[in-house]
Amino acid sequence: MEIYSLIIDNKNIIKFFYALIIIAICATIVRKADRLYGLSRYKGIRYFRNAFFFYALGFIARYFISPLFSSAFTNPVFEYFFVMAGFFLVYSLIWKSVEKQNESYRSSLFNSKIFILHITALLISLTDYYFGFYGAMFFSQIILFSFASVISCRNYLRGKNKHKFLKFYFLAMLMSLFAWSLNALAFIFYEWNQGIMLNIYILNMLVFLLFLYGVIKITKNL
Amino acid sequence: MSKKRERLDVIRDILKAIRENREIKPTRLLYASNLSPQMFKEYIGELLEKEFIKESTDKDDKKRFVLAKKGQDFLVEYRVIENFIENFGL
Repeated sequence: MEIYSLIIDNKNIIKFFYALIIIAICATIVRKADRLYGLSRYKGIRYFRNAFFFYALGFIARYFISPLFSSAFTNPVFEYFFVMAGFFLVYSLIWKSVEKQNESYRSSLFNSKIFILHITALLISLTDYYFGFYGAMFFSQIILFSFASVISCRNYLRGKNKHKFLKFYFLAMLMSLFAWSLNALAFIFYEWNQGIMLNIYILNMLVFLLFLYGVIKITKNL
Repeated sequence: MSKKRERLDVIRDILKAIRENREIKPTRLLYASNLSPQMFKEYIGELLEKEFIKESTDKDDKKRFVLAKKGQDFLVEYRVIENFIENFGL
């Protein structure tokens, strides 16, 4: 229990380093994926890169900008970034079913298809802003990661013998789903219980480390 | 019906065809790439622009394509890119 008390007593500094590590992980993934995209112009890599770009923005807004300003102003901002990150991650898995073979856009951040995601993310963050809670973001992320878990499970079952990281991807999606569900429970029933929040931080860290491991391992020869 | 090749696969096929022949005539490359003339022109234009391939002429002043350093590197990198796409389900 002493370690637990120590963590709770120093939660602000732990949060700072937690966010810093995740931002560094996201920056590494974005850099590596951007290099691969530059070589291949493959759209799936582009959307994958965008997901981690938005996660980095979300963590910067949540842990470095929010403490400096009123939460009324910053909450919709970081919510918007997190929701967009989740959208891009799922879109990177399904883009082939959504876009036509020769469909191409100059920008992967703003185009007619992605515009719908921006509008949805904006609506979600503004709904939470209006009602003063996080329900819409939690609900959207739980649905999104349930969907991502199903897709990644299907990918894993199809290619488990050939591609080793697919099982870690599936695991990462399940852990993300669990983390968002815990987040919702902590908010609705446990008034942001510190013990639950600590577990969420650990889960999130594991998810980002898993992605970093996959990206570094696969791109080590570049 | 066979599945349409991805853009990346087409580029790999073109570069591999050039590598296997060391230098290759445009008509022969068009045949090897299995593309329509219009698509072939677009891909070759892009590969020349990116300096993946180079144009040269033989002693009869006929045009040939040869693989450039960037193209050789791409074939190595292609394996990494392919691995990345498949392992992340992209």
